[in-house]
Parts: sequence; structure tokens; C-alpha cells
Amino acid sequence: MLRRTLKLLPVGLIAITFGGSAVAAPDAQSLLAASDVIRNPSQPFRMTVTLTEFEKGQQVDTSTLVSYARVMEASGQYASLVRFVQPARDSGKLMLKNGNDLWFFDPGTKASVRISPQQRLMGQASNGDVVTVNFARDYKAKIAAEETIQDGERRSRRSTKLDLSAANDDAAYSAIEFWIDSESHAPLKARFISDSGRVLKTAYYRRFQQQLGADRPTETVIIDGLNPQSVTILRCTEYVARNVPPTWFQRDNLSRFQPD
Amino acid sequence: MSQPKLIARCAILCVALTAGFAARADDLDALSLESAPQSERPTTDRPVRLVFEAGIGRNWGRAELPNESTRRLGVDYSQRIKFGDRWNAVLSDRLDHARPARVGSTDTLNSLREAYVGWRGEFGDDLVEVGRINLRIGPAYGYNPTDYFRTGALRTVSTVDPMTLRETRMGTVMLRAQRLLPIGALSLALAPKLGNAPSAESLSLDLGSTNRRSRGLISWSPALNDRVSGQLLVFGEEGRKAQFGTNLTALVSDAAVAHLEWSAGRDQDLLAVAQGRLGAARTSQRLSVGLTYTVPTKLAITAEIQYNGFAATTNQLRAMGIGTPEALGSYLLAAQDRQDNAARQALLIYASQRGIGIKNLDLTALLRFNADDHSRLGWIELRHHWSGFDLALQVQSNQGSAATEYGFLRSRSSIQMLGDWYF
Repeated sequence: MLRRTLKLLPVGLIAITFGGSAVAAPDAQSLLAASDVIRNPSQPFRMTVTLTEFEKGQQVDTSTLVSYARVMEASGQYASLVRFVQPARDSGKLMLKNGNDLWFFDPGTKASVRISPQQRLMGQASNGDVVTVNFARDYKAKIAAEETIQDGERRSRRSTKLDLSAANDDAAYSAIEFWIDSESHAPLKARFISDSGRVLKTAYYRRFQQQLGADRPTETVIIDGLNPQSVTILRCTEYVARNVPPTWFQRDNLSRFQPD
Repeated sequence: MSQPKLIARCAILCVALTAGFAARADDLDALSLESAPQSERPTTDRPVRLVFEAGIGRNWGRAELPNESTRRLGVDYSQRIKFGDRWNAVLSDRLDHARPARVGSTDTLNSLREAYVGWRGEFGDDLVEVGRINLRIGPAYGYNPTDYFRTGALRTVSTVDPMTLRETRMGTVMLRAQRLLPIGALSLALAPKLGNAPSAESLSLDLGSTNRRSRGLISWSPALNDRVSGQLLVFGEEGRKAQFGTNLTALVSDAAVAHLEWSAGRDQDLLAVAQGRLGAARTSQRLSVGLTYTVPTKLAITAEIQYNGFAATTNQLRAMGIGTPEALGSYLLAAQDRQDNAARQALLIYASQRGIGIKNLDLTALLRFNADDHSRLGWIELRHHWSGFDLALQVQSNQGSAATEYGFLRSRSSIQMLGDWYF
């Protein structure tokens, strides 16, 4: 009971902040913000991300990254510094994302290269998949439907479907169809849509575990929109709250960055 | 598919449909997949990086020059050692063996790229480092006017790919200090003179290449906004007036990034350097400006226009090529030593495509065009990645008459097969 109360606390706080009464149902934006709170720790943190790629059901690649993230005061959005650990070929490479400031650093060439959101550094997962993002800051939400869907564990779940549309230039996608648990507001499934209306990928959130004070999804199954046989599982583990100074997210920090 | 599996899938599908939602069969397949098992031990950084490289190839000589087989071996090692939270040491070294050896060089060369100790403040905002440090500056792909410590930094030239070439670059012995502030980053680098001339000895530290003059650099990287970033630089060299530089990058659209590097001040003409005429400095500028565009198929193309006001004029180049080929050779070697452009105006096209046809097969291609003498260098690499091993096929073609930058090269074309083992 206590756990459920804690889960609903952020929703209540957000509803109050947005001027809602105690009995009013939370609006779509509040639901989205509540879902963000479950997906992402609010304090600066470090986590390990394992990417496993599959083609036609066969594992074809795996890589390990360590991500440091924090919410930046100026933007209200997360900034992420991602360090490649495995495979050995990519060990020590860094990716920095702070809004549209997206950089790649290779310790072998000592080169910090600004990259565009379209440029990809790793297999099927886009750069945006491995960084932490608050949807509520970049998208405008509206409630589309109440639906029973199958979640990432292949169980039936009563869900609220939110239609998200890009609210600013920082949004990586034109639109997102986003399903959250009707009670807990935990993220269940997302469908990412391009400018032309094409489904770019579908993501299922699963394996919820206690991490940094909340039940969070520790795996995201990403299915390619064009080729559903191309699947990436993004696994987040080893969450640790730690001091991540804002100055880490400057380009000049890349060449001097020292990992834990 | 086995019968029990088929029945299980049908059952899942039926449940899905009766539950009244539209989960696709593909999604159900995907959800049955499991992430790769993770080590029980916490994920930590790999402080040591070791790469072995082996290659064989063939050069086709120009005019009367003979064709020749080539082979090379390389060991690339780097390590970072931490002493508590504040102190660390870095060692980075590369040993290359290549046959035939480059003109004026030996076949086995060791490049001590970095060896320094560093201290940082409590939150990592302050930094002081002493030793040989590879301080590389500038966002341009093929020509970096603001990379002020580039002179003499290359002992080994194993490729024409500017990205890979950076991996063999040696640092300069210097004292470096940097402070990161919320409004930007301020850096200072001071490099003393420690040698007079480059060394061709295999195991030399070659301080005469990297520290042949006393130099200093101050740079300021202001925090502009998340679409534009830049650096302002002031570079001083023993016996010379200061040079000023700036570099900028800008996110033009979701798929396009622009870059610019500009440096101006008093420096020697490259031709005077090649001829050993010291002292005759004049004021001019260097520039590199380019755009990288990424198409949805993961193909990234960069076009870069380069200008070097200190390079020889078209007429000077032509006169050297026709009258005194040795002088042209010396001039091109001087340009290579300084990592400067031999042409006043040049163009670079650089393209990279990830996953060409099959997964983990990447294509990289570049074209260098000397706009003064119209000679061209083309290079293509196909590289396949396996876990811990890369296999690459590289083909190069040098086009132009014997009196031109790329026509002067000993080979008109070459092919090379390379293997890289990562540990």
C-alpha cells in the first residue's frame, strides 16, 4: 500500500502544481510527467546500459555503455554523457548530449566531433535511445483512449494511451503514441512516429525493478518499424546516485573525462 | 518451428486478440527475446587498450618506378592509471614496422604519443597536466588551421585517411591547465623547446619534432547555445608574433552540421620552410569550412573547402614540378611535416556509410582535390567488424601529372588488406 502511495505521490504533486483539485483526474501532461518520474531518476545518476541486437531472432551484437545523467537547470531536460565500455574496439569513446548539443569523442583520434541527431553511432538503437529524456518537457500530450494492451511481459494491462506531439525543436520524434498503466502510470509501450507519419520503431518497457527509490523499467525492447525482425534490447542496470556536475556536459570535458 | 512452440505462439496470439488489442505477431516474437547475460562484476572502465595491426598490400609505381609489395605491423597501446581521486597518469604508445619505409625514414618507428601526469580539482573542473600531451584542436576533417601543435606530430604516416592518421599523432611536451566554468572553458598550454631537429631513430622520443620551438596557447570556449559552439585561440611561438584563430560548429538541421576553422597571423611561407630560408615571415590566413550531411540510410557526407595563404602559388608549384622535382619533393615533405596544405585551395569530400548491404560492413571513402594543380587522391575502405577483430580492404588512386601534388607520389595506385585485433 505504502509503495503504491509513493508511486502516486508524484502524480498528485504534479496535479496540485498544475492547479488541479484533489478530486480531478490528472490531465494528460501530468500523466506524462508522472510516467517520466518512473522512467528516470530525478537526482543525478550513473547507470550501465547493455544493448543486445537481434536479427531474425538471432543475437548478432552486444555492447555495453555507462551513462551519466542529470537534469540541467537551464533547460529542465536531462543531459547525458555516455561512455562506451564494450566492445573493446569502442572502449573509451564518449557521446555527449545536452539538448541539441550532441558530440562524439574518440580517445584514439582525440577528436570531438559534433554530430547531428540523424547520425548514428551504434547499430539499430539511435543515439536518442541510450540517453535519458523527459518526454513531458519536449512533447505536448493528450489522452487518446483507455485500452487494454499487452505489456512487455506479455500480460494484459489496462492502459491510458497518450498521443504526444513535438512541442519544441529538441523533440527527437514528430509524434509518439505512448501507453502508460492506468493506475500506476508506469510506461508500457511507445510507438515513435516520423514527420511523414511512418512508424519508426515500437518500444516495450519491461522488467520493472526497484532502482533509486522507484519501480522502474530496466529493459526496453525496441522493434524496428521498417524491419520488425530487427530488435534491440536495451537493459539498464547498476543505477547509482552520484554527483554529476553540470560542467561535465561541455565539449571541453570530453578529452579530459575520467571514468569511475 | 517445433509443434509445442507453434502451439504456444498460437495461444499467445489468441489471448492477444481476445484481449482486444492489436499487438503484432512480430512484437510477440521480439518480446520473447532475452538481453545478453551481464557479468556478475560491476561494469568498470577498461584502463588498458591494446590493438595489433597487420597488413599486406601492393603499390603500382608511377612511370618507370617499379611495382612493389608492402607489409606492415603495428602495436598500439594505451593505459590510464588512477592514483586516488585527484591524480592520474597516462601512457600511450604506438610501434610501427612498415616495408618499404617512407622516404627519409626507417622501417621501424616508435611513437610515444602521450606520457603525462595530471591533477584535477574536487569536481573535475580544474585540471593541471604535465608531460607529453596530445592536444588536438579543431572540428575540420582534413585540414585543421587551429590545431597549433600539429607541426612534427606525425612520425608515421600509415594512411591517407585523416581520421585514422590522428591515431598515430604524437603529443607535445607541455604544461597544460584548464578550468571549466558554467560560462565556458579556459585553457593554457605552454610547451618548451627541447630539441633542434627531427630524429629518424627507431626508438627516439623525437622531441626535435614536437618541441623544436617554445610555444604557448590560450583558448577560450564560450558556452554559446546548444546549436552553436566555438573556440577563440591565441597562439604564440618563440621569435614570432601571435597568431589568432577561431573554430565554430553549428547544427544546421536535424541532418546537417557545419564547421569552420580560421587562423590568421604572421608565419613563414611553406616554400621558405622547405628551402630552409628562415626569418621571412608574412601575414596571411588559413581556413577550412565544411558541411556534413546525413541521409536516412546512415550515409554521412562531408564536403570541406580548404585555404592556405602560406602555401606556394600555382605558378611556383608548376615551376618546381617541371624544373626541379627535388624541390617539389622537399616542399611536399615540409607540408606533410607541418600537416599543412601544400595547395592554396583544396577540396575534401569524405563519406562514411555504416552497414553497407550487410550488418557491420562499413564503407569509408575520401577524395582530396588540389584546386591549384587539379591533381586528385581517391581512397576507399571497406571494413567489416567482428567481435574483437576488424578486416579492412583499402584501395587508393593518385591522379595527376608528375609535376603535381598527388601525381608526384611514387605510386599511382595501391591496395592493402588490414587486420586489427582489439584487446
